[in-house]
Amino acid sequence: MTATAKRPAGRAIYEGTRIPYPIPTVLQTSQALWDTGDVMTVNFGPNHPSTHGVLRLVVDLYGEDVTGLAAVVGYLHTGFEKNMEHKTWWKCITYPERIDYVSYQNNEYVFVAAVEKLLDLEIPPKATWMRTLLCELNRIHSHLVWLGTSALELGAISMFWYAFREREQILDLFELVAGYRMHTRYFQVGGLAEDIPRGFYPEARKFCDWMPRAIDDYETLLTRNKIWLERTEGVGLLSAEDAIALGQSGPVLRASGVDWDIRRDEGYLAYHQVDFRVPVFAEGDVYARYRVHIEEMRQSVRIAEQCLDRLERMEGEPWIADDRKVVLPPRHELHTSMESLIHHFKIVTEGFRVPEGEVYTAIESPRGELGCYVCSEGGPKPWRVKFRAPSFVALQATATCMSDALIADMIAIVGSLDTVMGEVDR
Amino acid sequence: MTTPAGGWGDVPGLVGVTEAHHETTLTVEHERLVEAALHLRDEAGFTFLADITAVDYLGYGTESVSGFLGTPGGRDLNAPMTQGLQAVPAEKSRRFAMNYHLLAIATPPRRVRLQTFVDDGESVPSVIRVWPTADWHEREAYDLMGIAIDGHPNLVRILMDDDWEGHPLRKDYPLGGEPVRFSGEE
Amino acid sequence: MALEGGRLRDQGLKSERLLWPTKGPSRFEEEVDDLEQRVGLTTLAKAVAWAQTNSMWPDTFGLACCAIEMMSIVTARYDIARFGMEPFRGSPRQADLLIVSGRVSNKMAAPLRQIYDQMLEPKWVIAMGACASSGGMFNNYAIVQSVDKLVPVDIYVPGCPPRPEQLVEGIVRLHEAVKAGVPPAYELRSVAS
Repeated sequence: MTATAKRPAGRAIYEGTRIPYPIPTVLQTSQALWDTGDVMTVNFGPNHPSTHGVLRLVVDLYGEDVTGLAAVVGYLHTGFEKNMEHKTWWKCITYPERIDYVSYQNNEYVFVAAVEKLLDLEIPPKATWMRTLLCELNRIHSHLVWLGTSALELGAISMFWYAFREREQILDLFELVAGYRMHTRYFQVGGLAEDIPRGFYPEARKFCDWMPRAIDDYETLLTRNKIWLERTEGVGLLSAEDAIALGQSGPVLRASGVDWDIRRDEGYLAYHQVDFRVPVFAEGDVYARYRVHIEEMRQSVRIAEQCLDRLERMEGEPWIADDRKVVLPPRHELHTSMESLIHHFKIVTEGFRVPEGEVYTAIESPRGELGCYVCSEGGPKPWRVKFRAPSFVALQATATCMSDALIADMIAIVGSLDTVMGEVDR
Repeated sequence: MTTPAGGWGDVPGLVGVTEAHHETTLTVEHERLVEAALHLRDEAGFTFLADITAVDYLGYGTESVSGFLGTPGGRDLNAPMTQGLQAVPAEKSRRFAMNYHLLAIATPPRRVRLQTFVDDGESVPSVIRVWPTADWHEREAYDLMGIAIDGHPNLVRILMDDDWEGHPLRKDYPLGGEPVRFSGEE
Repeated sequence: MALEGGRLRDQGLKSERLLWPTKGPSRFEEEVDDLEQRVGLTTLAKAVAWAQTNSMWPDTFGLACCAIEMMSIVTARYDIARFGMEPFRGSPRQADLLIVSGRVSNKMAAPLRQIYDQMLEPKWVIAMGACASSGGMFNNYAIVQSVDKLVPVDIYVPGCPPRPEQLVEGIVRLHEAVKAGVPPAYELRSVAS
């Protein structure tokens, strides 16, 4: 990063910014246009087939040009954070999954990682590698859902069916390992909830061998497709400085030219022990974000293969930490050891206690920087949990990306920001 | 771990520095928050505001029965004296805390938490002119916690209904919901 | 008045019969049988019911996690196109079925009721998932505890989220209820309290 000159905290944070003023997240129609009398305010209501969930956009239209835009969110506000304050740490783990309901393993992981940071727990390597594998499979799953739905909205309907075909294969893998397709609740404080079942590795290998060909199929459909190029190239431009000022992260940031990926730069789980490339494109338009997503899927398959290489040699190793104050003892011990019985009882009824403190853990979810702030009072329930949702922040960039856009571009832009409304509203 | 070469002494309004769990927390007075924010963005390179978290400390330290069982040296079932003593958390100076999680996209990357405490009724200045992404985060802090933000151009409710009364995430706001009815009972 | 092949109870609901040949009639079947005897379908009504069930178009009302599983019933593996239901209409005016998939917050309650009111009769509602059926795991200030406080519901599909097969089972039961002559929920009951 080059050194930045002193920037006044005045009207514009730097010259050449396209962030609207005075409200950075609201594009406002100029008075001259209002005076023509031809501006129409339209509501893209919470129930709309193209807004990726319950997002409401209040749009001012001058013909087909979008001259004003304000996003209204909160239609899926669930009160996760308040609910989690009333549950023990264990029971809390089911909640984060439903926040970003497309990349649920990543959400589970960020919360569990924050709790483990407060507890200072050491996680066995088998659990670390398995978590990495599941997070990467979830990344592919999330990108597939994004690709299918975004292409569907722009008219490439067949993409939806192709993407969901592979998605079914990933969900089969999740069902094989954790028992359920979505919201698996497989991560536990200390490692994994159960051992990895037999027969998982060959199935995962089959998927990893098949997936690159499927991604080639997607690229054949879209990457050099004239209609796709016309709809996405040059649309929704976001410069690197604007992206950082607006707090963008993940594919949106990397498509604007900023080389930042928490997996590689800060490192968590086993990412520093695997080899992968981080795609960065400089154009900052919807097409660049599409390219970033496709390339990330390929890299995720690479990471998954490397995880499988390591995991196949770890048969018989522990999958959860040994700290009996936090982790349940193995069931067979309950018949012989009194201390195990007491620990089991205490952990299940009262819950384990986490030392007083506050942490902020950030990971690279498929949408960007997913952060979890946990404040503990020292008791069996959290004091405060807050999730920094990348989609919440990404929606703030809609107004900036929308300078000189048509309605059709608006659909492409909102789709490319890869928002999941569960995350936005929490 | 992220301490700059000259230490944190240059940050305006600095009241304290805490290091825990490999994280640095800078506590500043809320009157000088914008100056501290500008300093961190321009001098220290924290151009990325990741998150703004508001915390309500009403009743902190009175809820749980006791603190964590264990000592900093570790816990061992077979060494009784490592179980530690009951500890009650230290009291916080004021009711609310506003935490700004900052990131410097550099090699190596640096993170810091800028923290300021306010009481019910006091307002926090807006950092929207420093990091535009603060817009919705501050609206959420106002909506859910009721912390007034000074200088925000569009301070309206964001997640709750426009005519909602109360601030749900406060500790004196009830969880709500309704009692579960079972099909067998009369 | 009787169906060809005997009463519905004698034929059994195919979805269960295939799995458990020796299973007796369930409560649902007994209720349907009871209604059949009281309602007594004519040939025209049967034809109309057949037409309604075979092209019951859903409205795109995906809210949260259940919406992702609802999207996957459209895809090739679970394929509701075999029931004639793959065109999810964007406009409620063109839709027959409202699958409320996901948690309904207090802010979303008014748009939900508005969408339901905009649908033309006959219309059916499936409450998909635990959150739509009862509020799910979110018993708090923000979530409406069951969507039947807002709209009358025909079928509740439990699960968090329900597997696509579970949702298809709910849809099949709805079809069988319609073919048997069960009127849509708004004729039977009002919203819950």
